[in-house]
Amino acid sequence: MSISTGPLASRQQSSARPAASMVSPAMRRSLRQILLAVVLPVVVIAIWQWAGNGGSLFGGVLPTPDRVWQAWKVWAFGTTGLSLNPYSGTWLANLLFSAERVGKGFAAAILVAVPVGLAIGWNRIASGALDPTVQLLRPIPITAWLPFSIAVFGIRDMGAVFLIALGAFYPIVVNTAQGARDIERNLVRAAMMMGAGRWTILRRVVLPASLPSIFTGLRIGLGIAWTAVIVAEMVAVKSGLGYVLWDAYYVGRMDVVIADMATIGLLGLISDRVILLIEHWVLAWRRLQSFQS
Amino acid sequence: MATIAFENVSKTFSGQAEVRALDGINLAIGEGEFVALLGPSGCGKSTLLNLLAGFEKTTEGTLLFDGKTVTRAGPDRGVVFQEAALFPWLNVWQNVIFGPQVQGVARAEYESKARNLLKLVGLECFADALPVQLSGGMRQRVGIARVLAMSPRALLMDEPFGALDAQTRLSMQQLLLDVWQSLGTTVLFVTHDIDEAILLSDRICVMSARPGRIIRTIPITLPRPRSIASLTSTDFMAYKARIMADMKVSAAPI
Repeated sequence: MSISTGPLASRQQSSARPAASMVSPAMRRSLRQILLAVVLPVVVIAIWQWAGNGGSLFGGVLPTPDRVWQAWKVWAFGTTGLSLNPYSGTWLANLLFSAERVGKGFAAAILVAVPVGLAIGWNRIASGALDPTVQLLRPIPITAWLPFSIAVFGIRDMGAVFLIALGAFYPIVVNTAQGARDIERNLVRAAMMMGAGRWTILRRVVLPASLPSIFTGLRIGLGIAWTAVIVAEMVAVKSGLGYVLWDAYYVGRMDVVIADMATIGLLGLISDRVILLIEHWVLAWRRLQSFQS
Repeated sequence: MATIAFENVSKTFSGQAEVRALDGINLAIGEGEFVALLGPSGCGKSTLLNLLAGFEKTTEGTLLFDGKTVTRAGPDRGVVFQEAALFPWLNVWQNVIFGPQVQGVARAEYESKARNLLKLVGLECFADALPVQLSGGMRQRVGIARVLAMSPRALLMDEPFGALDAQTRLSMQQLLLDVWQSLGTTVLFVTHDIDEAILLSDRICVMSARPGRIIRTIPITLPRPRSIASLTSTDFMAYKARIMADMKVSAAPI
């Protein structure tokens, strides 16, 4: 019986240990991980603060971390006193504008890219008909689509959503097609032998077998979606983190610029973790595999 | 009145270099017969099975199953693959009912059958386990159960125990003997293991490589029901000596 006992065994071990220390080895390990991860940012921020002792760096252009933090607080929560900060209290609203556009564009990309990718990877005719066009359009950077997008959709949400969807589309479609192409031949044969038709095989064999690659595509696509939303908002709409970023730069508010950059980074990280979490859940059958090996 | 008939079947793989995998195969297998294809690796025995399964198309000749030309794969010919080829995202139970499910069999009908099959192969406690959690032998038991769940007219087995350790292989051979002796399905069994071929089959077709041909057909008349105990009988040894001599004849320089 080779039922994998990895996690069970370690749990038993830790509970068998006398409760001398309240911290389990697993907790201590993750604590160490967090400490290790925090060291570099803390050092960088400390040096930055120390170097800009007078309040700012590069002749007053770059604000120190404490100034950025102040600006961030005002941006996020507003201020009770008289404020000259035009962004006061608009953080959440702008964050949600950007997040909503990413959500819409990314969802549209998934809805189109996964079926198209499966078709390209699975069907020779679909591959011949679709793949060359995808490969031809793929090298055009989303920034090059900006004028097109503004001309077609105007300075409106649709333009941003279009760019995000387009940017996220390519990595998802390419990875999905790869996953469908690399499917183990005997799995398809087994399904055929059991009487499954082409559609059943696509839905019940090719799709699940391609999920690991699809998730790879999703994670890359999400990163591009965040790039696209900032670019689009800087040029094609009048709200969101990208708009604030560019606007703050124009009025010389580098503290807000940096707070904005940090916000984007944080959102990107969180959304990536969400995808990872979903992947973890959907691909549980793969996780067990890696336990054993 | 054979259920399986290869008539002058040849198979050539086209590519940069053409490979004649099978050449002029004539083979008739009767209802309920257990036939082993024995030969060195690369002799085309798996290709022969793939043709019958409908995974590959014949280049020449006719291939009949139940009197009808084989055009595509189907649940009347259950294939057991060497590496089991279970769906890794489905648990044991879902793998076993996959066939009846996609064929639209009523749930009430296949559920009791699948449960009995899991019991038959000794995996009733592992219905919820994923394939990766099982040993190679257990996976192959699932592979057999899922094929039997479709009540196929024939079983096509492509070195199903080739990747297992010696002891597990013996127990799987015993299991297959028991299952076959109770069901009586037609079996085409591909192997490179002489012992296995003699133990299991009614008839052994010895194949030669490049191009793949059936060079000898040897009926095995060891009494049934057989068990792995038959492996040490004097009759068994006599067959083995004869086949080893036969295979030496066909040993071509590689």
